[in-house]
Amino acid sequence: MSQDLLAGLIARTALGDRKAFSALYNETNAKLFGVALRILKDRAQAEDAIQEVYVRIWRRAGSFRVDQASAMAWLVTIARNQAIDLIRSRQPATLEYDDAPDVADAAPDPEAQALLSGEARRIDRCLGELEENKAAAVVAAYVEGLSYQELADRNAVPLNTMRTWLRRSLIKLRECLNR
Amino acid sequence: MSTGAQIPDDEALAGEYVLGVLPLAERRRVEERMTRDSDFAALVASWQADLSNLDEAYQPETPPKGVKARIDARLFAEAARPAGGLWGSLVFWRGLALASVAAAAAFGIYTSDFGRPAGPGAPALVAELGAPGSSVGLIAALDPEEGAFTITPAAFSPDDGKSLELWLVPGDGVPVSLGLVPGDGGQLKLDKDLVKKVSDGALLAVSVEPLGGSPTGTATGPVVLSGSLSKK
Repeated sequence: MSQDLLAGLIARTALGDRKAFSALYNETNAKLFGVALRILKDRAQAEDAIQEVYVRIWRRAGSFRVDQASAMAWLVTIARNQAIDLIRSRQPATLEYDDAPDVADAAPDPEAQALLSGEARRIDRCLGELEENKAAAVVAAYVEGLSYQELADRNAVPLNTMRTWLRRSLIKLRECLNR
Repeated sequence: MSTGAQIPDDEALAGEYVLGVLPLAERRRVEERMTRDSDFAALVASWQADLSNLDEAYQPETPPKGVKARIDARLFAEAARPAGGLWGSLVFWRGLALASVAAAAAFGIYTSDFGRPAGPGAPALVAELGAPGSSVGLIAALDPEEGAFTITPAAFSPDDGKSLELWLVPGDGVPVSLGLVPGDGGQLKLDKDLVKKVSDGALLAVSVEPLGGSPTGTATGPVVLSGSLSKK
């Protein structure tokens, strides 16, 4: 289904149209369940999450703006936020890391830049400017909803190091995305 | 949505939030900040837009049957709504108004003078009212000096014997009639007190009413169009 048609269903959902809401569910439930499952890694929890996701979609449909996000991106954001909140609620609410590590010294690596292909999508191209393990950490954090602690464990580095890495990677990524 | 002037710390924090790596207490703090700091909310929106390109990594998985029924039960169990239906429900209106405020916050479309009443010298406010996916739509432009909406209809007219009524849905959620939408466009004059209530970001909605407008002072027919006012 095209983004325009999905956007139309969201708009009619915002106006209280239950048929449109059902159609929206039919078109998107597999994708959003896939999001919840990938992050929560547990079918029962993903099932609880997906119910909450559609309750939120019904209640927040009026806040969707076509000019701000594609319809599917907006829906996936709701699903990701729900799943990540759920998984974080079972983890410590705060972490013992130093406050906001310095993000200076984040200049792009000229060698990595030289390897870039102009054809790739902007996000892929910019991830390609990061060192491989750092780009992988960014993608794993986003797609799998990993916490800082999980990322640190996976990369076998201390928590503060992980945070410094990731924050510097984000700054480099932003510089590239803005170019 | 320029981000050039932002300090890197905020840029990184917004990115951390969208990635989802922060612990819960920090997530809540970031969300709270998004509601009062439009520059920061814009950084979050940029990250959301850019990183959503990674969404294709999510493989579709069919959820168990019965999930939709449970969602419907949660949302619609209280089927016996008070007289007046959805339109009569203050909760519905508050929800609609809050949803639009939350959206403005989430996507960084607050302006620094959000909520400032339109008055003499204020810029024109424009709302594109629509129900995307259908051919319905109209544009309402408020000239605060004139105290009048100019209505441009686009491919929509109500059935014979019906009128379209324009409503303002303010922050407190109680809809206020702004008058009938002129049949083929034109001006809809508001009285002064009403103009003061219309502000940037306000939500407008159009309902189908009996000829001559709602007999009760609250909307009785279906909402066919809605949209928010913004400076143009």
